[in-house]
Amino acid sequence: MAMKRKIAFIDLSTGKIETQAISEKIRRKFIGGRGLDSYLLYNHTEKGCDPLGPGNTLMISGGFLTATLASATARTHIMAKSPLTGLLGSANMGGFFAPELAWAGFHHLVIKGKAEKPVYIYIHNGEIEIRDATALWGQTTTETQWSIREELGDEEIKSLVIGQAGENLVRYANVMTGIKNSGGRTGMGCVMGSKNLKAVAVRGTMDINIAQPIEALEYNKKFIEQITSSKVNQTQGTLGTPFIWGATNSWGGIRTRNFQYNQCENADEIEPEAIDDIATETIGPHHMTGCFGCQVHCRAQYKITSGPYAGKYDEGPEYTSQGAFGGEPDCKKAETVLVGNHLVNQYGVDNLEIGSIISWAMELFEKGILTTEQTDGLDLSFGNDEALLEMVHRICLRKGWLGDVLANGGIPASETIGQDSFSYLIQVKGMSNLHSDERATPALALNIATSSRGSDHLRSRPAIDLYHLPEKVLHKIYGSPVPYEGKLSSEHTAYEGKPWQVYWQENCYMAVDCLGICKYHTVFLGPTLPNFEDWPKVIKYNTGLDFTPKEIWDVAVRCNMLERLFNLREGLTRDDLKKGDTLNHRYYDEPCQRGAPDVVGSTIDREKFKKMIDEFYLHKGLDNNGIPTPERLVKLGLGDEPSHLL
Amino acid sequence: MSADDQTLSTAESLRKTRTYGKFRCHNPSCMGRLQPEAGEGQVKCPECKMEYRVHWIRPDFPRIRGPVWDVNRKLAEAALKKKLEEK
Amino acid sequence: MSNKVLKIDYEKCTGCRLCELVCAVKHDQVSNPARSRIRVVKWEAEGIYIPMACQQCEDAPCVNACPAKALTRNQEMGRVELDYDICIGCRTCVSVCPFGAMHFVPADRKVIKCDLCGGEPQCVRFCDVQAIQFVDEGEINREKGRAAAKRLRTAEGQAAALL
Repeated sequence: MAMKRKIAFIDLSTGKIETQAISEKIRRKFIGGRGLDSYLLYNHTEKGCDPLGPGNTLMISGGFLTATLASATARTHIMAKSPLTGLLGSANMGGFFAPELAWAGFHHLVIKGKAEKPVYIYIHNGEIEIRDATALWGQTTTETQWSIREELGDEEIKSLVIGQAGENLVRYANVMTGIKNSGGRTGMGCVMGSKNLKAVAVRGTMDINIAQPIEALEYNKKFIEQITSSKVNQTQGTLGTPFIWGATNSWGGIRTRNFQYNQCENADEIEPEAIDDIATETIGPHHMTGCFGCQVHCRAQYKITSGPYAGKYDEGPEYTSQGAFGGEPDCKKAETVLVGNHLVNQYGVDNLEIGSIISWAMELFEKGILTTEQTDGLDLSFGNDEALLEMVHRICLRKGWLGDVLANGGIPASETIGQDSFSYLIQVKGMSNLHSDERATPALALNIATSSRGSDHLRSRPAIDLYHLPEKVLHKIYGSPVPYEGKLSSEHTAYEGKPWQVYWQENCYMAVDCLGICKYHTVFLGPTLPNFEDWPKVIKYNTGLDFTPKEIWDVAVRCNMLERLFNLREGLTRDDLKKGDTLNHRYYDEPCQRGAPDVVGSTIDREKFKKMIDEFYLHKGLDNNGIPTPERLVKLGLGDEPSHLL
Repeated sequence: MSADDQTLSTAESLRKTRTYGKFRCHNPSCMGRLQPEAGEGQVKCPECKMEYRVHWIRPDFPRIRGPVWDVNRKLAEAALKKKLEEK
Repeated sequence: MSNKVLKIDYEKCTGCRLCELVCAVKHDQVSNPARSRIRVVKWEAEGIYIPMACQQCEDAPCVNACPAKALTRNQEMGRVELDYDICIGCRTCVSVCPFGAMHFVPADRKVIKCDLCGGEPQCVRFCDVQAIQFVDEGEINREKGRAAAKRLRTAEGQAAALL
């Protein structure tokens, strides 16, 4: 059964490999996936370790329910200290890797040290081998995967790889599997590169027993209907995630020209429907694909129609690529979005980060802070599609002065570039914001300011806050499994009640990340999608373990606290503009210029926002400085961390 | 709640509130219910006068494709001017 | 007399492999695609996914080749059936199947094949995009025929407009 999946400790410096069972006691405390990874990170790294040194530890895991009959549980989670932020590094991806890892006998890998030369790890039915990857070094993400299959003579091998961006230690290089599934954020590919680890390849044919197979099968059927009948997933299954960008742009909730405007006007060519048309033309009417076992199929397939990359097959673009290569740099050509998406997938770099950083550089160029001399003659103006794509190459290959500087991440780059460049950098804790603009939505602003891995929308965003759901419905969702009697507001502009929503979402997302479930299958974009009350059955039928909704919640609270402890240990302080729970000053000082009548003119109120953070801290059991109270730590069973149970 | 409980979860119970064929206006606080005629390509919000282009996911399932740019831009400019004057 | 068969439309397949998972759980009560009777063959670099399963052939090579006569064609049900009491596990059927749809499970030392779940194929039930359907064997081509006719009709219409 899923309970039998093991944890492997792999030391690349010494070649030593140990495996261990994961006890029920550990499962009850951290469940698995990201939650258990956060425990392992806290316990297996030293305070202040160099993110690019052998002392950093890389965790790769599947969720507790991955490869069982629980719908859409294909998520792989990757964690280490981030070379981009110096704080918590964490990335989550779909695809087919995590289930294969589970069939190969493992749920968690803990990778330490540094190999002397390029290597890859091969895991096959319980056996772990460290193999030479010299020949793979320099290959793109897909080339690497196909080469490994050829070398080992097995087409069914699933690999998690880095591309050239990871090899070149671009601080936001990602980890990839398949054509486009990416563990994108916080530079986990850079950590792999620093360890000379090109790939982890897995192949498994080992059984995972299902505790109650008939019930699991029947409940999965019901669960899938719950998920696929939601309007949001029916839209995703047709248009993919670009529909989110389209809708947000429609009312003025996206960033464009770095952070000067909140709507990309007349961008009809990069609207989701237009991109969908290209997918239909180049692939056919059935151009959607998906991750293991998922019936939402939110990922489009396409071929590039023109230009130097014409005919190239790729997948996506997700809404992040629309933002990165469309809205933010104010480029409105579909081809640019499709090519940009293809390049980041091949180089293995976070599309969101690279797009944001290039747009930041474009604003610096516009303001004269960056000169043509520094860009090596490149006209880095907004709307210059060619310059945008050229910068992607330069950053991933560290070519030219600016390419090399920007590859180090926003904050280090701002220190090199100097002047007031930092004040234009739209980041939290050193990681760039999504292409979204949260000035009209305080709840969403609170989410990015306090997210544990730096600015991020997948950590605690109450996205349904925009749906103006009746308060009765809000209380129904947010009042369980822990009673909440306080205020909840249907008004997206309100500050009251929002800290609880953000806190609830933080725990909800942690729970799905522990279980290995995709966020589109929980209360993220749709209120009717499963949450705490629905998961006990899935867990019980598949693993045999009894969890109450409250027990799942408690695990999530505990694991979120562990992430907080790690960040505090590595230097997070509340008001630090580079490492704290803060927002760029433009959120407070510059009103929205575009969008719907209810959006224009919006700013975040500094005082009210401060109170929001205070209240959020209170829910989390933190004092006003953002430091956990000893009572809360004891209550969560974290009084003695690091406790080295594993 | 035990795994065998037959009562509906919150998510399951909210399912019956889903409606097809209409959507809400994208002006956040307006959220007027718009119900375009079958196959119609454009719709105007009776509450706030915003205009939208419509895309049909299925014949019974419309969504907002995007704003009618020139109409909504004028509304935004007027709203911004008014807000700045009030400050 | 007419029976139902699996109709696979690979253009609709999203490549998710849920069919493999539910097949393994239904037959062996475990999650393990290596036990599935249906397998999705992929060309990931091109985004092409093709589910492969037993075609229940009329003149089945597996039946003809089986030295123990463990494989027989059930004419009434229109299926090829495997009798484990007779099967000697020689894997001849695995070698001769032109679709690669006979499988050998090393862990159990036995051959497996699609039995259409006794009339309610789980792969069909769980395939939301209907890439796998359970249809009357005389009707397999109906959808394709209609689609082709529609193209023809459109073309005729365009041609007529030129006259």
